[in-house]
Amino acid sequence: MSFLLPCPQCGPRDVYEFRYGGEAQRRPAPGSPRSTWTAYLYDRTNAAGVEDAWWYHRLGCKRWFRAVRDTRDNTVLKSTAPTVPPRDANDPPGD
Amino acid sequence: MRMTRQEISFTFDGRRVQAFDGDTYGSALARARVDVISRSFKYHRPRGLLCCAGRCPNCMVTVDGVPNVRACVTRAVDGGTVSGQNAWPSVRRDLFGAFDRLDRILPVGFYYKTFIRPRAAWPVYEGVLRRLAGLGSVRRTPRQADHATKRHMFCDVAVIGGGPGGSVAALAASQAGARVVLIDDQEQLGGHLAYSQATVTGDDVLNGLRGPEASARLEKLIRENPLIEHLPSTSAFGIYEGNLVGASRGDSLYRVRAKQIVVATGAFERPLLFHNNDRPGVMLASAILRLAARHDVRAGRRVAVVTEDDHGCAAALELASSGFDVTALVDSRPAASDQERSAAVRSRHIPVWEGATRIEVVGRSRVRQLRFDSGGGRRSVNADLVAMAARPEPVVSLLAQAGAKLVFDGSTGLFVPAECPANITAAGHVEGISDIAGVLKSARAAGTRAALRALGQPVATPARPLPGAPIGAAPPPPATRKAFVCMCEDVTVKDIKLAIHEGFDALETVKRYSTATMGPCQGKMCHSLSAGVHAGITGQSVGKTGLTTARPPFQPVTLAALAGPHLAPERQTALHDRHARLGARWVDMGEWKRPFIYTTVAEEYRAVREAAGIIDVSTLGKLEVTGRDAGEFLDWLHPNRFSDLRIGRVRYRAMTDDAGIVLDDGTVARLGPERFFLTTGTGAFDAVEQWLQWWLAGSRRDVQTINVTSELAAINLAGPRSREVIKRLTGADVSNKAMPYLAAVETEVAGVPAIILRIGFVGELGFEIHVPAEYGAHVWDTLMDAGHEFGIKPFGVETQRVLRLEKLHIIPGQDTDALSNPVDSGLGWIVKAEKSDFVGRAGIAALGSRSGRPLLIGFEVTGGGVPAEGAAVVHQGRPVGRVTSCKLSPGLQRAIGLAWVNPEHATEGSALSIRLGEGTSGTTTAARVHLAPFHDPEGARLRGGG
Repeated sequence: MSFLLPCPQCGPRDVYEFRYGGEAQRRPAPGSPRSTWTAYLYDRTNAAGVEDAWWYHRLGCKRWFRAVRDTRDNTVLKSTAPTVPPRDANDPPGD
Repeated sequence: MRMTRQEISFTFDGRRVQAFDGDTYGSALARARVDVISRSFKYHRPRGLLCCAGRCPNCMVTVDGVPNVRACVTRAVDGGTVSGQNAWPSVRRDLFGAFDRLDRILPVGFYYKTFIRPRAAWPVYEGVLRRLAGLGSVRRTPRQADHATKRHMFCDVAVIGGGPGGSVAALAASQAGARVVLIDDQEQLGGHLAYSQATVTGDDVLNGLRGPEASARLEKLIRENPLIEHLPSTSAFGIYEGNLVGASRGDSLYRVRAKQIVVATGAFERPLLFHNNDRPGVMLASAILRLAARHDVRAGRRVAVVTEDDHGCAAALELASSGFDVTALVDSRPAASDQERSAAVRSRHIPVWEGATRIEVVGRSRVRQLRFDSGGGRRSVNADLVAMAARPEPVVSLLAQAGAKLVFDGSTGLFVPAECPANITAAGHVEGISDIAGVLKSARAAGTRAALRALGQPVATPARPLPGAPIGAAPPPPATRKAFVCMCEDVTVKDIKLAIHEGFDALETVKRYSTATMGPCQGKMCHSLSAGVHAGITGQSVGKTGLTTARPPFQPVTLAALAGPHLAPERQTALHDRHARLGARWVDMGEWKRPFIYTTVAEEYRAVREAAGIIDVSTLGKLEVTGRDAGEFLDWLHPNRFSDLRIGRVRYRAMTDDAGIVLDDGTVARLGPERFFLTTGTGAFDAVEQWLQWWLAGSRRDVQTINVTSELAAINLAGPRSREVIKRLTGADVSNKAMPYLAAVETEVAGVPAIILRIGFVGELGFEIHVPAEYGAHVWDTLMDAGHEFGIKPFGVETQRVLRLEKLHIIPGQDTDALSNPVDSGLGWIVKAEKSDFVGRAGIAALGSRSGRPLLIGFEVTGGGVPAEGAAVVHQGRPVGRVTSCKLSPGLQRAIGLAWVNPEHATEGSALSIRLGEGTSGTTTAARVHLAPFHDPEGARLRGGG
C-alpha cells in the first residue's frame, strides 16, 4: 500500500501518514434493537469497490476527514472535511 | 572510470589482489586472472564473471563480512577483505564440488522426494541441506543499521535507466520544464555507449559522436542540468501504487514519488544453452566488452563467439575491434540471415561455423576449448573465453510489475510492452527498438511526453505498430546434462524437462517446482530463457507460453535498507536528569522513559506508606477541554457525568466505546464554567485525543481540545506527611477543610503557577501537582528539600504498581482488555444508567442478557509464590480465569493481585488455585478472593481526614 491520500487540509500525502478510521456509518438511535447495534458494532461491508471511510491525519494536521476510495486499486475519488458528526455519518461527506 | 591509476590491494580468500583505484572487485579479479569467484547454489560448480553489470549471481562474494555482494559492480576498496561463498575450504578448491557428479541422484525437486521419511527427521535433513546449498552466510551478530538512510524524493518525472535512452529521456523532460530524478544502476551514464565503437545518430545532442564520447557528453549535460538529479549505482527494484519507485544503493533506500515514470531499462543479453555454458570464461559478449572499455581488462585473449541470431556478427566485430583474437563465430542457425554482416566477419579472417549443434565447453575451472558439430564433423576451437552473443532482450520486468501489458512480437521473438498504465511511459530499447537512432528518437519523445503530462498537459500516446505475427513452435533445447537455464538455482534444461514430465506442465508451476527464475537475479538472466525452454519442450510458441508474473523486488535489497536507521523517538520528562542523578533504573512506557525504581521497592514503599514519597507522573496524558458544550460532550463520552461537576472538583473518569468496552481511565477536573482538565493513562493519550476529535469531527458542538501533555510536568506527592511538605511550598490553604479529597485548585506551588488535584492512586493522602514543564525540576527540587526532614523519597513505577494493587486500583489495558466492560471490571459504580444516551450505553445495557460473565477480582496468595501476570486460575484441572497483575506486597508479606475469574469463583473468600509454572505441568499455589482493598479499605487515609 503506497497510494497518496489527499487530506482536505494538507493536500496529497503518503497513506502512511494517516490512520484508517473505519467505514462511515450511522450510529443507531438510542433504544434501537440489539440486532441494529450488533450490526453497527461488528458488521463491516468490506467492499471490493467504492468505500466511504474515516481517516485521521496522524502525522499532519491531526484532523479527521472522509475519503471515498475504490478499495480495488486505491483510487481516491473524493476526500472532504466532515460536515456531519460520526453519530449520523452515513450522509455523503461534504455536500 | 579511469581517472587515476593509483594502486590499491585487497584480499580474495586470503590471496592478495592488486587493483587500481576505480576498479570493481570483479574487474580487479579478472585482471589478476582469478577465474573462479563463486560456487553454484546446488552442485557447487565453479563460476566466474558472467554479466559484469550487477545482474547475474555468479560474482556474489562476501565483502568485509557483508554477504552476497556483487563483485562486478562494487568498487574495490584498499585493504578490503573479500571471500568466496558456499564453498569449503575455498571457492578454488571446494570439496563439495563432488555434488556436480551426483546430478543423476539430485534431480529437480529431489528434496521433495528423498527426505520425506521418517517425517521427524526432516529438521535434521533440512539443517544439512541448508548448510550445503545456498549463498553467503549472514553474520551472527546483528549489524547496526544506523548508517542506513531513507530518502523521500518528489519529482515530476522519474526516469529508470541511464543508458542512452534514459539519459536522453531525462534531458528531454527537463527541457520541457520538468524536475527529473534519473535512477541508474551503473556508475556511469550512457550504458553500452561506453564500449560501443559505432557512431551515434538520432539525437541532436549526440549526433556524430562515437560511443564513449557520447557517453561522456550525456554525463556532462546531466551533471550540469539543475533540473535533473542523477542517482548513480542505484537500482530501481519496484514500481508501486501511487507512482512510487523504490530504489536502493547499498543500505540506502530511495522512495521516489513521481508524477510520471519513464521506464528506460533497455535490453540485455541472456545466456545461451549448451553443455557447460556456466564455466568460468563463458561470458556475455557485452560483459567482455564492458570490462575492456571501462576497466581496460581483457578477460582472456582468444574468444570464441557463440550465437543463434545476427547479434553474433555484431559482437564478433566489436570484439575484434577491441583487440581480441576472435577464434570462431559459432552459429547454431544453418545460415546467417544478415549476409552483409556475416561477410564482414569473414573478411576479418574470423572462421564462421554455421548449423552448429552439440556445442560444448571443455575446461573445468576455465574454458580451454569449444567443441561442436558443424559441416559434417566434430570441430574443436581453442579459446580461453567464450562470448555468448544472443540478441539483447528488452528488460520488461519493471513495466510488467507496474501493470503494462506485454505482447510477443513474432517478427523479433521478443516480448515488448503493448500498453502502459497512464502514468508510465516506456522509452528506448525496452520498447523493442534496437537501433540507436530509433532508441534516441523514442526516448526524446517519451521524455517530452512524460514531462508535459506531469506538468498538466494532456498528450496522446502515439499508436504503436502492431507486433509481427506469432512464429511457430520454439526449437527444442539441447539435449545435454549440463546446460544451465537458471544460474542462481542451478536449474538445467534436463531439470525443466523432468519437471514437465512429472506433470508441472504450466510455466508457473515449473517455476515453483524447479525454482528457476526465483534466485538472486530475479529472472534477469533466465526469465525468457526458461520460457523458451518450456516452449521448446512442450512444442508451443513462446508467445503462447508467456512469461511468469513479474514481482518486486527486481533487484535484491538489503534488509538494512528496508529497515532504515533506528529512529524510534524517545520522550523524556522535564525531570529526566533528576531521576538520572538519583540513579533511577528506567522502564519504557510507550515512547516515554520512566523511572522504574530508584532503590528498593521495600524502601520506597515504606516512605509512601509512613512518611511521604514523590513520583514523576508527567507522562500522564493531559488535555484541556473547553467551550460551551464541553461538559455535555464529556457526559456523552463517559458512562458517568461531568456537566454537574462543581468548579474546583475532580472526578474519576473511565471511557467506553459503543460496545461498552473500557478504553482508558483518568480524571476530569473542572477549573472553570467552560474549562475542564482531563488526564489519561501514559500510553492512552493519542488514542483518547483521536477518539475525542473523531466525535467532534463535523460536529456543531462548541468544544475545543488542547493537548497540554508536554506543557505540564506533573508530580504526585503522597503519604501521611505530604500535607506538611506541601504546606511549606504554597500560600494556599491545604487543610482538609479547604482542600478536601477530590479538590482541584489552581494556585502557586514553589512560586510557580500550579494545578493541585487532591487524588491518590496509591491510596494515601496525595497531591497531584501540575506545573509548567520548564519549572518541573525546580518544583521537584523544592519538594525534595522541603520533604527532607519528613523522610521524603522518590518512588518509581514498580513501587507505584505495588501500592495501587493494595488498593485494587485497576490499570486499563493491564487489567482490562478488548472484552472488558466497566461493570465486570469493578467500575459499575461510575455507570449512570439514568443518562439518556452516551457512548457505550447500548453495550452496557446489553450485558444484562448475558450470564456467567467473568469478573475482575482481587486475590491474595495464601500458598506462597508470586504467580506471573497471565497465569491461569484453575479449578479441578480446568482453567477458570487468569491473573492480570500480581506483586509481592511488602505490607502484607504475600503476593496480591487482580484476576478475571468465572463468577462462581468470584465471591469473597473463594479458594483459588493459580498456576506458577508454564503449561499444564506447572505447580499451582493456593489463593483466596479478596474483594475489598487490602490497604485502608474505608479510604480514611486517602481522604486524609483531620
